[in-house]
Amino acid sequence: MKKLISIFVLLVSFAFTSNSYSKTEIHWWYGNSGFLGDVIIEIANRFNESQDEYMVIPTGKGSYEDNMAATIAAFRAGDQPHYSQVYDAGAAIMVAQVKNGVVIGFEEMAEKYGIDVDADNYIPGIKNFYADGDGKMIGVPFNSSTCLMYANMDILNEVGIEEVPKTYEEFEGMAQKILDAGYIPLLQSHSPWIWTENFFSRHNLLMTDGNNGYDAVPTKTLFAETEAFVYHWTKVKEWYEKGYYGYKGRAWGDNQAPFTNGEAAFWFGSAASFGGMKGVLPNFTTNPIPYWDSVTGGKEYPTFIGGAANWILNGHTEEEYKGLAKFIEFMGSPEMDLYYHNMTGYAAVTKGGIELAETINFYRASPYHKAVGDQLGLEGSTIPGGYRAGNWPQIREVIYENVEPMLNGDITVEKALSNMDKGAEKLLKQFAKTL
Amino acid sequence: MKKVQFKSNYSQYFFLAPQLLILLIFLYWPIIQTFKDAFTMQDAFGFGSQFAGFDNFLFIFSDPSYFTAFKFTIIYSFVITLITGSIGLLLAVQANKVMHGKSAYKTLLIWPYAIAPAVVGVMANYFFSERYGLLHHLFNNLWGFNWYENVFDAYIYVIIAGSWKQISANFIFFLAGLQAIQKTVIEASIIDCKSNIRRFWTITFPLLMPTTFFLIIINITYAFFDTFGIIDTTTIGAPGSETKTLVYKAYIDGFKGLDLGSAGAQSIMMMIIVLVITIFQFRYIEGKIHYN
Repeated sequence: MKKLISIFVLLVSFAFTSNSYSKTEIHWWYGNSGFLGDVIIEIANRFNESQDEYMVIPTGKGSYEDNMAATIAAFRAGDQPHYSQVYDAGAAIMVAQVKNGVVIGFEEMAEKYGIDVDADNYIPGIKNFYADGDGKMIGVPFNSSTCLMYANMDILNEVGIEEVPKTYEEFEGMAQKILDAGYIPLLQSHSPWIWTENFFSRHNLLMTDGNNGYDAVPTKTLFAETEAFVYHWTKVKEWYEKGYYGYKGRAWGDNQAPFTNGEAAFWFGSAASFGGMKGVLPNFTTNPIPYWDSVTGGKEYPTFIGGAANWILNGHTEEEYKGLAKFIEFMGSPEMDLYYHNMTGYAAVTKGGIELAETINFYRASPYHKAVGDQLGLEGSTIPGGYRAGNWPQIREVIYENVEPMLNGDITVEKALSNMDKGAEKLLKQFAKTL
Repeated sequence: MKKVQFKSNYSQYFFLAPQLLILLIFLYWPIIQTFKDAFTMQDAFGFGSQFAGFDNFLFIFSDPSYFTAFKFTIIYSFVITLITGSIGLLLAVQANKVMHGKSAYKTLLIWPYAIAPAVVGVMANYFFSERYGLLHHLFNNLWGFNWYENVFDAYIYVIIAGSWKQISANFIFFLAGLQAIQKTVIEASIIDCKSNIRRFWTITFPLLMPTTFFLIIINITYAFFDTFGIIDTTTIGAPGSETKTLVYKAYIDGFKGLDLGSAGAQSIMMMIIVLVITIFQFRYIEGKIHYN
């Protein structure tokens, strides 16, 4: 009995000592892996070293989809993290959850805990993408990318092309030359994101009804009825048949690999892709994605923000939210913003970060980083800077499912696009029922 | 016969409780949840939940890719059962004849069984990689193999990936079955019939029927449910949705697409399919089998 009591006393004293030393823990879940995941851990470490009260614990959950599913499952089990990274396609779902008390909007949080970072401090395009219908910023912008064109300059020099194409017409004109020299002219890694969503934004065209879902809950996509979109895919199919465009399946990496290995002249990927290419491919550039001159009449429009934002989840203590507010402030500082921009290639998301980049002449030292800001900073669009459409992860799946039979000739382009519309319409209606 | 009588009327429940509890928590509760999901419409976080009747079922039945998945699952389980069963049987019969180094053969042939499906998928990925895949190059030289867009080629990819590991399972059970056949029966048959092949089909194989029947069920269940990891690490359902199994589709819709209603309805459809197959097997096939 004495022994038992002493064990008990020992345990209790342990509990107290560990308590008095422990910091307030803030859990941050993310959906990046590899190098990008390492940078996230580094950010948390830097924050933890910068002060003693709070401790941010980052946990990688796999891919964006995995992290979103894990966050939702955790919420339903009452065990959600404080802060979670959710990607562009899930933004509509997260914004819709403010009214259910799942998500705390950034502006509400800033007001309550006095975050020194104003929503207006974030650049407008990015801010609007993660805002609700009233323009109040809900998600906290984090890794913001867009699709860019990577060009292998060695191949272009070899075949005697001096300038990278600005338009698809220019690309079409040079593709045969590249093909004749034994290279794949073009590859791209994400048909729904690059050649669907951002086809519409790049050409200033509406993708769904309800003003891309900003004015009303969307009920259908405008794929088959948008002439330019039909034209684009007809051309893509033609290119595929001629060998101008190579399709390597759905996996991002399988499409990127030939480019990284110097077998392809152009590749469309994310602004954050160059990290893995630097030092592997000797001479490449990042450029804005081409557009159809015939569609826009020579004008260029900005693409949507890709990547992800961090979302504040409800159900934790005041003390923890204070710590999270400190962390958000820390991440929103110009130094951290530029650090992240520099490390990953994601866009700088705060005005402070951009100013800092200009003051230190950052882009002269690292021209890779410039294209993303240039393309996102374009003006003149009449469409919203994003889309608010639910069930979008599944709609992306529907798009993928129809691209392949279209390329291999099982169905026509018109049929594929109308299939996409039909699939999307059903999913949009299904989502509308849950609102 | 002596009957053992327990005094208490309740002690049996006490001893049963742990097992029942496990069944309740891990089997019945999820099933009830699935039914709940299938008949309600809700958002990803479980809000806005409302009774939807058969809407979720109508939703999946109006989805052409559901039928594609259905068709693929049937083809896939049939082909996998056939391939793994026949190769497993062939290997078992041959290994049974081996005199020297018998256990070495056995061990080597059983090994793949210990590998998780997802790992098998990753390995298959190497073999079918366009860049450095041996099988990809072999097939490409034979007929221009391209699983990215050709449905038939994608079938070959997932069938090879899915069969490899399961051949081991078939091998080990067939081998055990062969060794259980009494030597006297075999010896008697050698006197009556000279032909090896004929003896096999008229004596050995009928005696293996219980094993075969068992393996057919195991293989179908495997192709239905366990190949999930293989599909996820190889084709992810491409091209189109031609290589999605029903389980994989339910996973994509439920966990990637966050549509629990549709995933729940698909799970119930799967339950019904498995029920029908099992009833069919036990009623019409098992009746023709003689257990020793």
